[in-house]
Amino acid sequence: MSSFTAGVSRHAIWVLVLVLALAFLLVRSDFDFDYVIPKRMARLTAMFIGGVCIAWSSIIFQTITGNRILTPAMMGYEAVYLLFQSLLVLFMGTQSLVVLGPNSNFFLAVLMMLGYSWIIHRWLLRNGRNNVYVMLLLGLVLTIVIGTFTQFIQLKVSPGEFSILLGFSQASFGRAEPWQLLTSAILVVLVCLAGYKTLPTLDVMSLGRDQAISLGVDYQYSVRRYLALVAVLVAVSTSLLGPTAFMGVFVANMTYTLAKTFKHQMTLSIGCAIAVGMFILAQFTVEHIFNYRTTVGILINLVCGAWFLVLMLRTRGAV
Amino acid sequence: MITVNKLFKAYGTKTILSNVSVGFPARKLSSLIGPNGAGKTTLLMMIARLLEPSYGDIFIEGSNISSVSISDYAQRVATLRQSPGFNLRLSVEELVAFGRFPYSKGLLTPEDYRVIDEAISFLSLQSLRESYLDELSGGQRQMAFLAMTIAQQTDCLLLDEPLNNLDIKHAVHIMRALRRLCDEQGRTVILVVHDINFAANYSDHIVAMKNGSVYRAGSVKDVVTEQRLSELYGLNFDITHNKRGCLCNYFNSSGELE
Repeated sequence: MSSFTAGVSRHAIWVLVLVLALAFLLVRSDFDFDYVIPKRMARLTAMFIGGVCIAWSSIIFQTITGNRILTPAMMGYEAVYLLFQSLLVLFMGTQSLVVLGPNSNFFLAVLMMLGYSWIIHRWLLRNGRNNVYVMLLLGLVLTIVIGTFTQFIQLKVSPGEFSILLGFSQASFGRAEPWQLLTSAILVVLVCLAGYKTLPTLDVMSLGRDQAISLGVDYQYSVRRYLALVAVLVAVSTSLLGPTAFMGVFVANMTYTLAKTFKHQMTLSIGCAIAVGMFILAQFTVEHIFNYRTTVGILINLVCGAWFLVLMLRTRGAV
Repeated sequence: MITVNKLFKAYGTKTILSNVSVGFPARKLSSLIGPNGAGKTTLLMMIARLLEPSYGDIFIEGSNISSVSISDYAQRVATLRQSPGFNLRLSVEELVAFGRFPYSKGLLTPEDYRVIDEAISFLSLQSLRESYLDELSGGQRQMAFLAMTIAQQTDCLLLDEPLNNLDIKHAVHIMRALRRLCDEQGRTVILVVHDINFAANYSDHIVAMKNGSVYRAGSVKDVVTEQRLSELYGLNFDITHNKRGCLCNYFNSSGELE
């Protein structure tokens, strides 16, 4: 009975997302298939890719760390991304936009973040050590240090250059080029397929290290594997959309409340739907109601935060 | 049969276990007893492969456990740590189903469901099947975790203080279940237990540990004597036997405590 209702809600939420997506594509488009709709299609694709990345990375990361208030963003990825963009602007000025072009910028940013995660995983998980909390502490401290350094750089640049940086520091769907979308989509699909096969292992890992090992999970190997998966997804979403900060926390916790099951097959699916739905809703509002006078990031934090609080109050802390 | 050979464990310069060599007989219930900090749990965790020994080997049926893959090991040895805490909302049935992971890897077969049912009815948990773990009392929770361990269908079960924080009725319930696992199903049970009376009345074999080494290992009759227990715990013991078993009285220890 419970699995039946959960199954219905999973499909229902995806139907809702599709309706939203259609509305986003068609409302006030005058059915202009030459310019308006292809442009919206590109933004929609970016939202789908970003939503999947954020939902998967946050939920998997929270399972591995056994914690519900953390997102991979806290591991310093977004700080590294912003540092990279700041350094580019500092050394090359507005020229950097021309010299690198959006594609090289995107790929370099992905590589930077993957390199960063490779180094911290390698260093922190060396000789079979596995202290996720030390890793989090390091990530948090790095975020603060790099963040401050980035602010320092931002003070050094001209107002014009600063506005470029500001653009990079806010999530946006319009920035992504078709090429980047295609590469990201392929990357995300590959990574998710690889992860999908071992989702039951992830379920067992949510019981904690000792119980997982006792049930035959090669814990060390699995943690590394999933952290690598999270790294790829965060790198892709940050390079594609920019920093999304706390969205992962909202998405993951709303998913747990709505899904009413611990099975990752279910939570990941619902999580993706929530994240994509949020994005579409926020972007739709920005485009049609606020006329670009506010940003997606602000709206998402506002709406997610409010909804999350309502959920908390209504379920009386059972989140 | 699990055999431990010259096992050492040290953190930095602090030695937790030194030169422990001991055997745990198959199809018997063995209790690890001794004061806090004697290394009982450390030894059990190394047998469970949750800790790596600094030096020494552990053998199961003659093969070194480090040569067995983790997933194969989970089909031979099941471990229950004390009060596992996690923030999942799970029903008893879902928890017990996890015990089938070493075999099914997440896709439960009819055989798995049969074993899950069996484990649940073995501990008479049918009425709690659908209940969520966070709604259960400590004793019921512990029973649910034990059911998961039983569903793992391993020859050997390792339990770290399964009676911790339980009332006397649940404690008796758990010990009886463990006894039945040995007698009816021929499983090997090794547990760390602090209540010397439970150890004395339910075990076949006792391993007494003190200061990181084995103080004495043998049958209950051999280890549970007034003199040995006094030496082990530094308390005065008064052991009485009657037809319901033996009773070790240490409550009003005469003389000064060490």
